[in-house]
Order: sequence, then structure tokens, then C-alpha cells
Amino acid sequence: MRPYPALSELAQVVRRLEAKSRHRPSGGASLEQLLGGAIEETEHGRVLLVRRRFALPHHHGGQDLSHARQIASEPLQLLARSDMPPPGGDRLLYLDTETTGLAGGTGTYAFLVGVGFFDGDGFEVRQYFMRDLDEEPALLAALEALFRSFDGFVTYNGAGFDLALLETRFVLARRRWLGDRFHLDLLNPARRLWSERLDDCRLGTLERHVLRFTREDDLPGALIPSVYFDYLRTRRPAELPRIFEHNRHDILSLAALTGWVAAAVGRAPALDLCPEEMAGLGRIWEGTDLERGLACYRMALERGLGSPGRERLLFRLARWEKRLARWDEARALWQAAISIDRGFDPRPWEEIAKLYEHRQRDFTAARGVVEDALSRARLHRASERVLGAFEHRLDRLTRRLER
Amino acid sequence: MLLRELLDELLTSLETGPLVTAVRHFDAKPAVFAPFPSSLDPRIVESLKARGVRQLYSHQAKAFETVAKGDNVVVVTPTASGKTLCYNLPVLQALVQQPESRVLYMFPTKALAQDQLAELGLLAKTLPDMRMFTYDGDTPQDARRVVRARANLVLTNPDMLHSGILPHHTKWVNLFQNLRYVVIDELHAYRGVFGSHLANVLRRLKRICRHYGSAPQFIMASATIANPRELAERLTGEAVAELAESGAPTGEKVFLCYNPPVVNPELGIRAPYLGEAAKLAARFLKQKVATIVFCQSRLATEVVLASVKKAVEDKTGDAGMVRGYRGGYLPLRRREVEHGLRAGEVLGVVTTSALELGIDIGHLDLAVLAGYPGTIASLWQQAGRAGRRSGQSAAILVATSSPMDQYLAAHPDYLFGAAPEHARINPENPFILVNHLKCGAFELPFAVDEPFGGDVGKHLEALHEEDLLHRAGDRFHWTSETYPADHISLRTVTSDNFLVIDTTARDARHTKRRQIIAEVDWKSAFAMIYPKAIYLVEGEPFEVQELHYREDEEKVAYVKGVVVDYYTDAISAKGVWILQRLARQETPGLLAEQGEVLVAEKVVGFKKIKMGTLENVGSGEVELPQQEMQTTSVWLTLDPALLRRVSPSRDELLDGLRALTRLLHHLAPLFLLCDIRDVGSWLGDGSPSEAGVVVTRESAWARLLQASEFTPTIYLYDNQPGGIGLAERIFQVLPDLLRRGLETIAGCRCSSGCPSCVGPVNEVGRRAKPVALALLGRLVPRR
Repeated sequence: MRPYPALSELAQVVRRLEAKSRHRPSGGASLEQLLGGAIEETEHGRVLLVRRRFALPHHHGGQDLSHARQIASEPLQLLARSDMPPPGGDRLLYLDTETTGLAGGTGTYAFLVGVGFFDGDGFEVRQYFMRDLDEEPALLAALEALFRSFDGFVTYNGAGFDLALLETRFVLARRRWLGDRFHLDLLNPARRLWSERLDDCRLGTLERHVLRFTREDDLPGALIPSVYFDYLRTRRPAELPRIFEHNRHDILSLAALTGWVAAAVGRAPALDLCPEEMAGLGRIWEGTDLERGLACYRMALERGLGSPGRERLLFRLARWEKRLARWDEARALWQAAISIDRGFDPRPWEEIAKLYEHRQRDFTAARGVVEDALSRARLHRASERVLGAFEHRLDRLTRRLER
Repeated sequence: MLLRELLDELLTSLETGPLVTAVRHFDAKPAVFAPFPSSLDPRIVESLKARGVRQLYSHQAKAFETVAKGDNVVVVTPTASGKTLCYNLPVLQALVQQPESRVLYMFPTKALAQDQLAELGLLAKTLPDMRMFTYDGDTPQDARRVVRARANLVLTNPDMLHSGILPHHTKWVNLFQNLRYVVIDELHAYRGVFGSHLANVLRRLKRICRHYGSAPQFIMASATIANPRELAERLTGEAVAELAESGAPTGEKVFLCYNPPVVNPELGIRAPYLGEAAKLAARFLKQKVATIVFCQSRLATEVVLASVKKAVEDKTGDAGMVRGYRGGYLPLRRREVEHGLRAGEVLGVVTTSALELGIDIGHLDLAVLAGYPGTIASLWQQAGRAGRRSGQSAAILVATSSPMDQYLAAHPDYLFGAAPEHARINPENPFILVNHLKCGAFELPFAVDEPFGGDVGKHLEALHEEDLLHRAGDRFHWTSETYPADHISLRTVTSDNFLVIDTTARDARHTKRRQIIAEVDWKSAFAMIYPKAIYLVEGEPFEVQELHYREDEEKVAYVKGVVVDYYTDAISAKGVWILQRLARQETPGLLAEQGEVLVAEKVVGFKKIKMGTLENVGSGEVELPQQEMQTTSVWLTLDPALLRRVSPSRDELLDGLRALTRLLHHLAPLFLLCDIRDVGSWLGDGSPSEAGVVVTRESAWARLLQASEFTPTIYLYDNQPGGIGLAERIFQVLPDLLRRGLETIAGCRCSSGCPSCVGPVNEVGRRAKPVALALLGRLVPRR
């Protein structure tokens, strides 16, 4: 006689039945209705697509999205540090993914991929969602078609995460990855602009402080994988709309922030920025338009950039002035750095001493500087190495003066 | 002077002659050559000829042909028989003729991969399109991208394949699409738990290859073990051809057993073996005989090195001809020594088993083995390091005073007759298998009926049950935020290394500059760099000032250069405590239990030992944390009544029980398909009075003897933290294990104990064998 099935076997049967019925949940609202989306057919099956349009102008916090659309190609290229010709504002896809983890590697899925783009009189957000993990081929097929009709990406940390992960998924599915696209990763300029002023450079932090946008009842990013796993197991979609909402906000913030940064870069040096932002703009410009970058630095100093960023910037600016052989300007900056009485940095002292000794051949002045430097260094208990270097310099100057 | 004359002198001198307990001659064997295979690319032939290779040895040609036929192959030929050409030739052929081919080389250590890269580089210098790179933990991040994009030959290790390459296979598409050969050298190193892990890593590798449409052939090389082909087939899951006939010539060879002289006849104490080994080495080195000395530990290496240097210095005034070599030396220093040996600038080297592996150090005349290396396979591997292709070479085994070595010195026939060890693995161990299924699912979803070695449906279902996998359609997908390979280590040792920093070092301008002088792995750290320890680097003494080992600290030992005439040797203590009883079975006379235990070990002090005379000149205490491991164990408690019936003497019973513990420990791997080091054993007390306080082995026995109740307990535990099911398996097979023990003792023809049964007689005592036999006879039911 066939033994009565064990409980575990029965559980398996139940699970199988559940799994079969999952795409047509009985009773209640369908997933499409709940999320306000529709099923899209691809050559590799079906995927859920949720579309939202935001009529322009649309304000996200204090920022109008339209600014991103008008982004000029010069700041765009500058920000992306790319050799590729920058596409027009309507040809960019703002992209953000929600994933099953941050571990990276081949075992992390991008189960929700959100993209935003300007179209006609609005900004459209499209979110592609796998209702189960076997819908990945369909999701990738839909994405590939969409990617082909745009020329570039804007992301926040996409180089390290979102695009890298999507590339992994495409390769894993044996699809061609459209890798050589224009890509603006806003994380890099954001770090330059805000790492001094803000505690961190997460998109959410910038959103609050720069865009003045507050999310209500936001689902914390760290919980997103477990909410999705929970949905996969229980098929209860109640929490899913919060993931979509979170992702949509990320994309809107991305576009708004792009507008903000592009405008700031285009107008630099602009008066309405705080000194730290101004210093950051200087770093962005420094590589391509030095004088413009230096102008930003000067304005950051004039507008009262605080320590310790101030000393760093004084020194950075002085180094450029020195390279440009503007000695008086350089000396003034080093002297300004010295006059900030916080700790002891030997470098400006050394530079002034070198300037007097080698360029102006004023050994007496040089010796005076070194003597001051030594007493300051001792006061601040500088290291043996630092003291040794100044003592060595002092000896040499003394010998030169005695000759 | 010729080596032959020096050996004659050693054998005939009144002083040393009687100390040589055995001499074995091995005849020279002429080379068996074969022409270059006709299909071998002419560019490779040219490159070989440019390096002086005019024809091949028969096994090299045979390997080439076997691979060309499409077979997997394992080559088992002696050290220095030109084994590497066996895999390098087919590999270069593929790369030259099909430029899109890719090849993966795997070595157990990073150093070996470096060494092979250098050798390949020479051979491939004139060949087109060779892009060979190592890819391991030492590869800088920015270089990794370049390797992934460019390499057509990647040299790596199993750990890197497991955690760095397979989980990121999409970054290696080119490699996996076109993977032609997987070369695994030093196959014998992959035994026990490590090998069981590797077998599963290779299953994952093959799975990824299938995904990208390739099916690589495996080319392997192994030192002599009893079952190379079986090991190769179990590791790869493929049929493998074995090639064991070496065509390389060997010169005439002499193997000597040397037992140090008795210096105290009343107590039977022999001269310290390390000193004797050093003396022997110096004796030959002074006559310009290229010599390698193998020691059993890093400390022994330094001690011998110091004496050899001193002895040689007297004569030539230059000790730079003799170098040390061991794990822990910085890579640059090791490369320098390897190169010096090959170039003949270094005449002698004192080393651990680190040089036993395939690192190319050219040819030496004499190998001095300071102590039996523990396995027959290692013994011949080390002895094989001395060997010219023509002319005579020699190996001398210097016996330690351990019972094992003394037994071998007295019974050399045992040594020459013993077969090399089996390498056993068990890839189906559920703990190991399930871990790799997790990694496999992370890499690629599993089809519900997909085999992995064998049928794994149940395992996948269990992972599903635990929500680590999610079933969508007919596939299981990984649904956890974690990166499983990060939590699964293929080796039990942690990767945390201690840096040894000399705080008294000075640079060229005599300014103080702290300098890293060595690295010590976590496991050895507490026995080597405890505060006040003398740490030796190439014989130069440093005293440890501070050891930083806390979790939140950087792992560092600060040392200072000192002038001392002693070194230190750690004293360690151990204990095993039962945490939880999970199962029990009672048979007449025996209560067997299985459950969780705590195994604790600790360095409690050290002895100061004078250099040269090796006498004990003091001791010290050490305050170090206890190394604790929670694991699973089986423990056996014998009925006191049964014990009394076997012998009235606790002393005798204790000898018998020690013998029994050792016997069961040595036999368990046969049933578990693991290595002997994967299991631990301990003879203690069922209810130790002071939980958590470790004691030395001797005091544990003393306590047993003095206790009011005599309740000895034999523990056999799983040596992997947390356990991987070895104890559970012992518990299941216990009746068979005991029966096998009985058969082993009963069938052993030795008079009162030898390494094949209960252990050498001096270790376990004269009555140990009969007592153990009597105990087992009462425990094993008659059939």
C-alpha cells in the first residue's frame, strides 16, 4: 500500500498549487490595478510596466525638472568627464534600479528598473518589474528595446552599481550589453560639491538639503530586498507600491539634481551658492578651464569658507598661482594659510621660505620665516622629521649668510 | 670531494658509522626519450630547442598525445622529472594554434603560481600572443580589470576561483566561453576537507562552462600517493587517464637513516636531532655539496639554520651561501632564495615543507630530513629534492627522539616497504555540498532536476524550505541579500595574518624606520610570536615586545632586534568539554555519545633553549587568549567493571586507552573519506572538574590516574569549527570502526606496537598493545 504522504510532501504540493495560481490572484485587486500598470509583451515573455507622466514644469522640492532638459552640452561633458559627444537633454535616460541586495556578483537581481526621460511636454517615468524571477528575460528584452531608443544614461553611483549590475544581468542572459553609451554618474560631481558640507553624499541626503524635498513614509532602501522576497514567497503585494514610490522619487530627484548641478556649473562662479559648493565647482572646472576654476576658489574664500577646508583650498590655489609664476598672489595665500592658527602645517612655511631663498635670494627673510616656523612647530609638537627638515634648512641659510 | 667519498667517510668513521641504522641504494635509471610529437607546433619546438630541450622524455610525449586525444589526464612522476612540460606543452599548443582559447591554471599556493608564471614566461617568450597573468588575493584592484580583459592564461588558486572568479563569471565571459584546459598541479594537496571543497568548486566551474558553451579538459599533476587516478576522478567528476611511467633519468641514489648518538646511557637520552641534522648538513656544505635541510616546523628551521650558518661561517667566513626558506618570509626574500638556488649562488637551504612542493629550485646533491615528515608521501617528496639526473645523490633521515622516529630508525624496512598514503575526499558531505549549492545558485539558477555531482533535489528543496532559494517556473533562484562565497572558507585557517614589525630597524641613513620583517598566519601566531618569544628570521633573533590580537586591532607583533644565545619554544595546553549531548548508544561495556563540545587550546608558557647545546635554560609564562572551537564530537566512556576485568592497573589501562585513542583516530578517516588532520582526538575525563581550564597532555593523564573515580573518555571530534558532520558519521559507523580497530591490532605482526597499529611502542608503552586488544575484544561483539 502506498504510504500516506508526509507533511513535508503535502506542503510541497500546496506550494506548487500556489505557484501555479500566482499570476492570476483570485479576488481583490490585481497587481496591475494595485500598481497602476499594465502587462507588456516581449519576445521573451511578459513583464509588468508602470508608467507615470509629470507635466512640465514640475517642481520636485524647490527644483523644476525642466532645468535638466535644457542642460547644455558643455557642462554635461564636463560633469561626465567623457570623450563621447553628449546627447541632448531629451536623449538621456535617468536610471535607477531596485535590487535583491548590495552584494554584487551574479546572484543579485535588479527586480525593478526605473527610467525617466523627457518627452513632449512632460517627464515620463517607466518602471519595469519582474513579478517573479523567471520574468527576468522579459524585463531585459523590454529594457534593451528602450535603451536602443536613447543615447545615454544619468545615474547616481551607476558606474559602481546600477549599470554594472545590469551589465551582469545582460551578460548572464547572453544578451549584448549596450555598454559604450554616454554616462553621467552624478555621484562624482556630488562628492566634489557636498562632501565638505554634508555628512554623506547619499541621494536622500542631497534631496533634503539641496533640493529641499521631503519624502513621506518612505520605505528605507535597506528594507527593499526583504519586502520583495516576502512578496515572492507570500504573493501578498501590499507593500510593493512603496518600492515603486521609492524608486520613482529616486528618479525624479536624479533629474532635479542634474538640473541643479548643470545650472550651477553653467553659471559658475555664481553668487547664490555656499562657499563649500563654490569650492567644489572650482574643482569641477579646474581641469578644463583653469581660470574659471580659480575664480570659483577665490569666491569660495571671499565668501568665508571655513576650516579646515579653507587651509586646504588656500594651499591648492597657491599651488596653481605658483605654477603660473604669480609669486605675490601665491605668497599672500600661503601667508593667509599660516595666519589660521589651527594645528601646524609645514607646507606653506616651506613654500614661503623657498620663495625667499631661491627666487628672491633674500636669505635673511628666509631665515626669519624658518625660525618662526620652527618655534611654531615646537609649540605644536611637530614630528622629528618635520623639525629635522626645518633645522636642516636653517643651517644652510645660516651658512649662506655667514659667507 | 665527491659526495660518494663523503658518504663513505660518514659510514666508516667510528664516530658516525654506528649511528647510521640503514643504507639503501637505488640504482640509476637511464632516460627514455621520445621525439617531439609530429603535431607539436614548430614554433614551440623552436622555443624548446632554444632552451636546450632537444627531445622529450617519454612521459611528456605520452601526456601530449593523451591530451590531444581529448582525454583528461593525471601525471604522477617524481620530483624534477619535467612534470610541468606535461601540461605546458598542450596548453601552449592550444594558445598558439587557436588564439581565442583560454586556459586556467590552479595551484594550492600563490607562490607556486608565481613560480609557474616565471617558468612559462621563459618558454613562451618567442611565441605569439601569450597573455599570461596570475589572479589572486595579491593582484591589485586596478590590475584585475586588465587581467580579465586580456589574459588567455590565468594562474590562480581554488580560494580565488571560489570567491573571486566564479561568483563574477559575467566579467570572465571570454574565459568561460573559450575555456580549453584546466590545469591542476599538486593534486595530492587536495585531500580531506580541502579536497572535498575543491571537488564542489570544480562542479561549479563546469556548470558555468556549460552555461557559456565550453567543456574544458583537465590536465593534472600529482606527487606519488596511493590513488592519484581515483582522486583525480573524484575531484573532477570525469574519467581520467593516469600516467605514472617516468621517462626522466635518475642518478644513483642513497637513502640513509641516522639515529643521533646516545649521550646519557642511564636515561637513554640521545643528542638533540636538530643539532645532529645541522652538523651533518654543515659537514657536507663545507665540502661544497649542495644541500637542502627539511625541518618539521618554522622554529626548527630557524634553529637549524642558525647552527649551520655558524658552522659554515667558521670555515669560509661567508654564510650567505646558506639561506633559510619558510612560510612567513616576505615574498621578495623567498624569490631571492629560489633564484639563488637555481643560479647556484645559494649552496644550501634550510626549509620547512614549503619547499617540498613544486617550486623550481634546480638540483641539489643532498637532502637532510630533520625528523620524519609524518607521511610516507612527504618523505619521498622531500628525499626527491636531492637528485641529479646523472651522478649520485643522497638523502639522510635524522631520527628525532619521538617514538615514531625511533621506531622507524629501528625498523627501516617498515619505512622502505610502506605504501604511500591514500588521498581521500568526500564531496557528498552534506555540509560542504549544501554550502556549494548556495554558491552555485548564486552564480546561476538551478533547474529543479539539475544534477550537481549526483542528484541534489532534496538539498535544493531544503534550501528552498529555508527561503534561501525561491522557485520560479522550473528553476531555483538565489533569494538572499548575502554573497555566500564570502562566508564559506575552503580551508579551516582564517586569512588574518599578523605582520611582524621590527621597531629597531634603521634605514640606509641610520634613521629609525619600522620595517615589516615577516608575516605569521593566525594559527601559528600564538605559538610563535607571544610576548617575550624569540622570533627568528633567517637565524637572526628578535624579541617580541607586544602582540596585538584583539578583534578591533590591526594584527601586529612589534619586535626588537636582540643579541641572545637562546630561543624559545611554546608550551601549549588543551581541553575538551561536553556542551550538549545529542545522541547516545549503549552496548555492553561501552557508552557512546555524540554531541557538541568545546575544544580549547592555549599557549601557557615557553621554554628557553640554548642555541648550539639545545639545553633547557629557563622558562616563562605567557598570558594569551584561549583559542576555542565549538564543534561536534563523539565520546566513548568505558564501563569501569570492564576496565577492571582487563587490568587492575590504571597505568596499564591508560597506556591501552592512549593506544586505542590513537588507533581510532588513525582509522576514522578510512570511514569518513577525510584526511587525518580533519579529525582531532583527546583522551580526557567525562566530567572534568574545572570546566574551561586547559592542561597539558601529560597532566591530563596524571589527573586521570589520581582521580578518585577512574572515568577515562575518548573524544574523536570534527576539526572544522562548527563541524561538518564528521562526528555524526563516526557515531553511525562506530561498530564498524571498533571492529576494524580489533582486526588491525590482531592482524599486525609487530610484537608490541608500531605506527601501523597502536603507535610506536615507546609512545604508548609496552603493555599498550595487549591491553588495547583486550579492550576491543570485549567491546566488539563476536560475529
